[in-house]
Amino acid sequence: MAGDRRRTPYAPGIPAPCLTVRPLAGGRGVRAAGEIGLATHTIWERVLEQAVREGEAVYYLELSEVTFVDVAGAGALAAAAGRLGEGRRFVVRRPPPALCRVLDMFWPGLPAIEVSMS
Amino acid sequence: MSAAAELLETPSGPFAHPALFYRDDQEYLEGTVPFVREGLAAGEPVAVAVPGDRLRMVRDALGDAADTVRLLDMREAGRNPGRIIPGVLRAFADAHPAGQRVRIVGEPVWAGRSATEYPACVQHEALINAAFRGRTVTILCPYDAVRLPAHVLADAHATHPTVIPAGARPARASEAYAPDAVVARYNEPLPPAADAMTFPFVAGSLTSARHAASDEGRRLGLTGVVLEDLALATAELTTNSVVHGGGSGVLRVWAEDGHVLCEVRDGGRMTDPLAGRRPPSRDQRGGRGLLMVNLIADLVRVHTGDGGTTIRCWFSR
Repeated sequence: MAGDRRRTPYAPGIPAPCLTVRPLAGGRGVRAAGEIGLATHTIWERVLEQAVREGEAVYYLELSEVTFVDVAGAGALAAAAGRLGEGRRFVVRRPPPALCRVLDMFWPGLPAIEVSMS
Repeated sequence: MSAAAELLETPSGPFAHPALFYRDDQEYLEGTVPFVREGLAAGEPVAVAVPGDRLRMVRDALGDAADTVRLLDMREAGRNPGRIIPGVLRAFADAHPAGQRVRIVGEPVWAGRSATEYPACVQHEALINAAFRGRTVTILCPYDAVRLPAHVLADAHATHPTVIPAGARPARASEAYAPDAVVARYNEPLPPAADAMTFPFVAGSLTSARHAASDEGRRLGLTGVVLEDLALATAELTTNSVVHGGGSGVLRVWAEDGHVLCEVRDGGRMTDPLAGRRPPSRDQRGGRGLLMVNLIADLVRVHTGDGGTTIRCWFSR
């Protein structure tokens, strides 16, 4: 699955999907780049699991370099937010429009997810 | 006994799903307004989801009582028939405690629905019965007996366990009731369009498939949220093919009249006719892809069989 890295003739400039994640300076979150889809759900869920375990009151997910999040990726975020516990939250910074669309559709008003466009 | 009270006494269980045939505005109001008022008088939650012009008529007839009724323009809320069960009917019914009877007037089929939309409309009406089996819910479906074609009126007898003939009360059991046969009969093939952007995909090219759909959608005139929705629908449908539909499929995108169409064809077979029509519980993981497509597209048509599954969706441009 993820091993198939062929480039298609239609879109030669677009590589196979990947997701890279680096810690934010200060250690209160991560910066992700790439896209969240079938090939990268495992990485994304690992990132979220780690975020839940770290215990920060506010955990930043900097997503300005994430180009797409599918419904399952949004669902993983909502599920992780549900495990944060009282008084903790994710701040999701500059997510792609698809993530906001899906969160609004299926998980509107989750108190543990704050979307920040700044 | 009133007509509406009799509707509640169906032998098939607590769920009641009568078709109401009307010939003019007066018959429309005589069939719907007392049904709403009796529900309100019994303390039942009531929703009316009908085309806007009819909605205004019902609202005016209800007067102040309209404030306590959920009013929805079915032309908007139910433009894609595939989203009416999750987005309108169950969204309303599930918001109230189990056992509390809920009444809904739902008019998903109106004169002016296109021949392309109709198979999705009639399958939706048939699937309501499975979606609400055992629920204490009454859904009254008005049908315009003057302006709708004869085959549509005949189908309404097959999709509704009880019918209220025009001008003749009370409700009676429909002898033609056969919802599963309707779902099967309107499972119509969707032949590939000529001149469509065609993109075969496997797991490793899901991203490229989504980009190809977006590029073509943009070229065909989509912008903003609708273009994003096309990308989202493409991602969900192609991912479903990879995970459930044999690992590969073919994406097509093209334009017809005022719409951009996106279609995914794969070798799988859909065995659950309610797939994409059940509202998920808040904690449920996964299983929302097809539901998402139903919620965002203007129309979704499905053909499934031994030869594979085709899902086609329409986006206004």
